[in-house]
Amino acid sequence: MENNVSHALYILQEPVQYMALSFMALMYIIKIRQMLKKPIPPEKAELKGDRVVGALESLTNVLKPWSMESTRNNMFFYAEFMIFHIAVALTIGATFFIPLVPSLMTPAVSKVFMLFMGLAFLIGLRRIHRRLTVPEMKIISSPDDYFAISLMTVFFAVGFVAMWMWISGSPDTGWMWIFFLLTTFFLLYVPFSKISHYILYPFGRVNFGRTFGGRGVIHRDVKKQTWNPK
Amino acid sequence: MSEQGEKIGANEERKWPTKTEFTPEMLEEMEKLLPGTLNRVVTASLSGCIHCGMCSDACHYSVSIPDDKTLVPAYKADRFRKWYKSRYDWIAQVFPSFVGAKKLDKELADEMYDKLWGGCTMCRRCTFNCPMGVDYGMMVRAARSIMQKVGRVPQHLQDTVDTHYNAGNNMAVPQDEFVETIEWIEEELQDEEGCKNFKIPVDKKGAQYFLTLNPREPKYYPLTIQATAKVLNAAGVDFTISSRYWDLTNYALFNGNDPDAKQFALWQAEDVQRLECEYLLAGECGHGFRALRWELPNWVGGVPFKITSVMELMAKLVLEGRIKTDKSVWDGHRATYHDSCNIARSGGVTEEPRIVIRAAIEDFVEMEHNRYDSYCCGGGGGALAMPEFTPRRLAAGKIKADEIKATGADICLQSCHNCTDQLKEIIEHYHVNAKVMNLAELLAPALVL
Repeated sequence: MENNVSHALYILQEPVQYMALSFMALMYIIKIRQMLKKPIPPEKAELKGDRVVGALESLTNVLKPWSMESTRNNMFFYAEFMIFHIAVALTIGATFFIPLVPSLMTPAVSKVFMLFMGLAFLIGLRRIHRRLTVPEMKIISSPDDYFAISLMTVFFAVGFVAMWMWISGSPDTGWMWIFFLLTTFFLLYVPFSKISHYILYPFGRVNFGRTFGGRGVIHRDVKKQTWNPK
Repeated sequence: MSEQGEKIGANEERKWPTKTEFTPEMLEEMEKLLPGTLNRVVTASLSGCIHCGMCSDACHYSVSIPDDKTLVPAYKADRFRKWYKSRYDWIAQVFPSFVGAKKLDKELADEMYDKLWGGCTMCRRCTFNCPMGVDYGMMVRAARSIMQKVGRVPQHLQDTVDTHYNAGNNMAVPQDEFVETIEWIEEELQDEEGCKNFKIPVDKKGAQYFLTLNPREPKYYPLTIQATAKVLNAAGVDFTISSRYWDLTNYALFNGNDPDAKQFALWQAEDVQRLECEYLLAGECGHGFRALRWELPNWVGGVPFKITSVMELMAKLVLEGRIKTDKSVWDGHRATYHDSCNIARSGGVTEEPRIVIRAAIEDFVEMEHNRYDSYCCGGGGGALAMPEFTPRRLAAGKIKADEIKATGADICLQSCHNCTDQLKEIIEHYHVNAKVMNLAELLAPALVL
């Protein structure tokens, strides 16, 4: 595919994106630095497992639905989660591939992207419905929660249509403009919203893994039996 | 025999001032205290929640009391998180209500008190079901520590800590009375068949294991001490009990006061070194085991001795063939095992109790949720020391009562004294036909001497 667009759209797709991306990166660096400055609780107990291995295992928790009861008992929900997040990665990827490597986005490849975007859109609608109707969700939801899922759902819908028109030979459409304007907005807004949870994910999982890995809960080294008087 | 009549506990009596209401001065003090509680785990937990709701089915409160949605873990944690966000969330600085941030006022503080003292046992079952790894236990303890410092702490819980501080054990059992009780238990043990030469040494220097007890044992459940001593003697274990700091409990783990937690741990550590024991041996007590095994070294900066538990030691004795058992003594009975949160999830001990159980009884049935998936019985986190929350505590125990009932067991085994009391109460409350016992009480009668 080729990306024959107007100069104005090119500005939006490239320099503006790079500036927004730089801003987002700066915000993330500040966030990560603030977190890294926080003291880690000490661990001086004799360990039953490996804290490093525990941390690594914990980091891959998202890929192991059997490891938590909450996902084990809700496999359909987990499948939706995976599709949604794969769609996030692909949609973000599209914002780079379209302007920079359009040849990669063959019709076949683009249709795969669109499939995930379409499914993610439907999943987004389900998630909005869930948050509005399930009492346990309503009681814990803030405007940021509703806004985040709504924004992502709209993003997928716009991306789907923009790509459809792009592979149909219309790369410079209003939909593509909206898609990249939304992307710019995301890059500026996400560091401040709950959507940035992927930056905090490693901290929470590493904390969990180190604590419970060391205690032999998620990674038990059976040789380290503390009752062995040797 | 040790020197007796010496002062056990702190030199000066203390009664921590408690308050029944939050005042503006207290709220102001809490604002100053907040930054000091924010280590990396607490901060990541406060900022990492994505409100996905995956924790709602993990909590015994929200599962047992489904009509009260304010008991969903994320809601409870948000009582603290709203305040945190008002201080540290970027968007909250310009648009607080957008992210659910709220400045600390009396209303929010009262909600924090109600939910984080009376609506959470810090069991961490939600943590184990959280995709973001939010550590509710640490987070709730941080909130409790702030409230405790300004005096807004459940009175009876604080009294328990004060008693421990003043007397060296949380039931103020005097040293001479304790030693007499141990001597009496020793006599009772020696009257048992095959136990004529069994001993419960007190203050024996150089013993391999320094056995610790929950104060409820000498006060109300001496037979558990007798059972434990019988097992240890039968296996030829070289152990002793201290006449001084024999109490393994540490209720400062529940009330969040780190200086007190450290003090109780320090007394214990010094006493182990006084008697020159190789192992500090935690008796069958849930939070006590965790406080000794996993928290004590951190509170005191490391220890020169090893720490283990009676559960793990009994399993070792079984596996090494140092005790022989006759399971027929429990014929006609069915047992199930309740995995206490501080022993299993927070302690990493799940298989050792089962080794002991399978050596003593034939008919053993697991509950539907066991090991790290076990539901909290509802008695943890100091809940039994907060009588103002008793109705909710009993209601929260329904899921556990249902699971015990479903096994058809007439013996519910566990290794925690808070669990003992809670299980007994919910068994009565929900009409479950089961007797609560600890592992030593199961194993001792099955010993072949």
